[in-house]
Amino acid sequence: MQPHLVFNVKGGHAAGSACHGELSIVLRERLIEALGTDAVKTAAEDLAVYAFDAYTDGGTPSAVVLPASTREVSAIVKIARDCGEPIVARGAGTGLCGGAVPTVGGVILSFTRMNRVLQLDEANRRARVQPGLINLDLSRHVASSGLFYAPDPSSQQISTIGGNIATNAGGPHCLSYGTTVNHVLALEVVDHRGEVFTTNIDDVGYDLTAALVGSEGTLGLVTSAWLRLVTLPQAVRVWIAAFGDVDSASEAVSAIIAAGIVPTALEMMDAVITQAVEAAFHAGYPTDAGAILLVEYAGLEEDADAAEAAIHAIALEHGARSWRSARSKLERETLWAGRKGAAGATGRIAPNYYTQDVCVPRSKLPQALRLVESAAAENGVTVGNVFHAGDGNLHPLLMYDKRDRKQVAAVVETGNAILNCAIDLGGTISGEHGIGWEKRDAMTRVYSTADLAAMGRVRDVFDPARVLNPEKIFPTGSRCPEVAPP
Amino acid sequence: MPRGRAAVSIVQERIRPTSTDSVSEILADSDRSGRKVSIVGGNTLAGMGFPAEGPDTTLETTGLTGVVANEPADLAIAVRAGTPLQSLSTVLAAQGQFLPFDAPQPHSATIGGTLAAGWLGPRRHLYGRIRDYLIGSAIVLADGTIARAGGMVPKNVAGYDMSRLYVGSFGTLGILVQANFKTVPRPPHARLFLAPLPENTRSRAMAQLRALAIPPAGAFWVDGFHKAIDGAAGDEGRIVVLLEGSNALLERATRDLRSALGRAGVPETTVTDAGARESFERVVDAYVACLGERSITYRVYPFADASEECTLRLHEVAQRFKLHAETIADVMNGDVVLRVSDRDARALAARIETFDDAVHEFEPRAQVVAGKNPQRDYLRVWGEAPAAIEQMRALKARFDPNRTLNPGRFVGGI
Repeated sequence: MQPHLVFNVKGGHAAGSACHGELSIVLRERLIEALGTDAVKTAAEDLAVYAFDAYTDGGTPSAVVLPASTREVSAIVKIARDCGEPIVARGAGTGLCGGAVPTVGGVILSFTRMNRVLQLDEANRRARVQPGLINLDLSRHVASSGLFYAPDPSSQQISTIGGNIATNAGGPHCLSYGTTVNHVLALEVVDHRGEVFTTNIDDVGYDLTAALVGSEGTLGLVTSAWLRLVTLPQAVRVWIAAFGDVDSASEAVSAIIAAGIVPTALEMMDAVITQAVEAAFHAGYPTDAGAILLVEYAGLEEDADAAEAAIHAIALEHGARSWRSARSKLERETLWAGRKGAAGATGRIAPNYYTQDVCVPRSKLPQALRLVESAAAENGVTVGNVFHAGDGNLHPLLMYDKRDRKQVAAVVETGNAILNCAIDLGGTISGEHGIGWEKRDAMTRVYSTADLAAMGRVRDVFDPARVLNPEKIFPTGSRCPEVAPP
Repeated sequence: MPRGRAAVSIVQERIRPTSTDSVSEILADSDRSGRKVSIVGGNTLAGMGFPAEGPDTTLETTGLTGVVANEPADLAIAVRAGTPLQSLSTVLAAQGQFLPFDAPQPHSATIGGTLAAGWLGPRRHLYGRIRDYLIGSAIVLADGTIARAGGMVPKNVAGYDMSRLYVGSFGTLGILVQANFKTVPRPPHARLFLAPLPENTRSRAMAQLRALAIPPAGAFWVDGFHKAIDGAAGDEGRIVVLLEGSNALLERATRDLRSALGRAGVPETTVTDAGARESFERVVDAYVACLGERSITYRVYPFADASEECTLRLHEVAQRFKLHAETIADVMNGDVVLRVSDRDARALAARIETFDDAVHEFEPRAQVVAGKNPQRDYLRVWGEAPAAIEQMRALKARFDPNRTLNPGRFVGGI
């Protein structure tokens, strides 16, 4: 397993990078020639900005480029290849696992300038967008047509569609709408040679679209995507149920799902988070609760009352102390703002937080939360839980101060222990953020050598020389292909 | 002969293994010795794609049956790939759940075959594709390697989505031996609407159906298929609509649907609850039902708003070739099934190749999905090659370098 405990930023010219001295001047000159001065950054202070994502460790790139078109992305890949530099795609850098940071130097390709909605096909409920488009901007763009884009990671105000595709991002509403892969219809991709190819889920042949979604920038660079849009629901209800403790709240979650009720969102926050959120947002959460459930129903007015009655009854059966229904759109939005801002609100508890992302079978939630609690306690770490309970997707937030090496070590140790808990309970090591750099060595705990080799065969086809986001997903020491394809 | 051969029963050159290990042994041995293997499940979608080139062995997956793990409270189930769809549906129905496979002949069709064919059913506009329910898998690759992916949880981004990659691969990358699904609570009630379409009502009726506030689970404009699909026909054919949901929802949806059809000028509607789902399944069965050697069935995939025009064009082309044409247009998703036939198989054979050219000139992606006419294999069964055919060929070469599995069965000679 990692621990990349050190916060010293790794050098861009570390072992593995072929770009030294004169070559790096060539790289810079060629990139500027192709894209113009303002799209190429090589000054140390600029590179430092791109050294981290939301993970604890990072590394400095050789150059950062800001392409404005597919043609420019293609040119960048060709130049980087000529200079022996790997290529790391980057959206907003909100990923949790070091997926968007360079580990061996290389060129960071930041998609922030490719942020437009290119086409809207209302009749067939789809839109073609560039990868740098911010998730929420798409829903805003199509709202007047009565549509929205369903996957809604908590980072949706800043995270980009490209990054969402790379990690197969989830979000609270994926409980009923499914994750990003269910919403991607077609892709335009620049491959490892700088050539463009397209995929479409309606094309006959292998489902390359599905293979690319969640591949964390290791199989190609998405330069545009057709996305499925969903009709805005007629009736939306949001309820808050307060419980005495996390156990009874998780039992209620299991019972709701087992009863065959699938709300559009079913989110849990424990006392640590509830109090932090309430202090920051005044969302109206009961601060004396051991855990609260935020439940959303979206659908038809006809079914809303029945859904409320059924869920309320289950909540009461599991000891809910209070139940509140949002009375207005504003109240619903306030309740959601608290949930979406929960991670940020922990700034009141500690200067830094580390978010783990694991998924367990829903019926194992109570057990999983107890294991998380004891793993944190064993390492002396404060933990807050705010997560997609309906999917069994846990997000323990571990609070720490990154200036204290001991705390950092304790946090990394706890994060690692939580991965083991999830595996032991029949779950997985990433629900919606990917493997990236952080969890690559944990892959061997969930998959056999043969399982990983099958994935490696896909990599062999799309990135035989391992130039696209190297050192990610696959465990340390996974080697280059045994048989290099032509 | 692979070791452990005693564990499998052999019918002529057909093998029906009953365990993952024996599938692995058979493939490893075939791959080493250069024997070609064709794979068959319930044999219900054999009319899609080309037959595998000269297989030495036919591997039947129907010996791999049964539920491996069932977690009703987690909405998750794992089954072996040779399990018939109907068996799984029965298990799920008993626990108030379902999966929207919507594939023909569910008593024979297997889970593995349905996934391998990437079957697209009519409820996908509402529930998504069956690939979106596949959360884990076990595959035996051409060299006998057993590779697992995913697991039993609904969200999983640990490495590539290998499970979805095998969906629609027609067994050319590996043999699926186990599939894990997330399941869906089953809508408690279903209601079927049948209505003949009088002159000048079809366009409006289709537009009204697409615009319903409560989308129907399935909606079809049917022209022909008189014995196979219920309902009396009008001048412009008939519509078949399935609604699913709670009683309260059905009440409102029924009112909405009646007034929508009224606005479209459709006067009579038959409404039935009993046998509603069975009627709907008969529509799906008709997608690949063939009249022996006398018919060929195509499927094309226009967007929903172009479905009617596409169907009318297909009728025109068929008429030009003096072929009897029957169609099913999926109003919500847009795709169209076209069955062309003649009273005489030889007469069909004589015209079908030029008809095939004409269809593809108009709709390059048209696929042949059924038909036992001997001329079938000379048609452009897969339609035009996909844009990324080069990448697909490279995948095939990396997964199955000796072309052991279903050689030539898939698009572009894969």
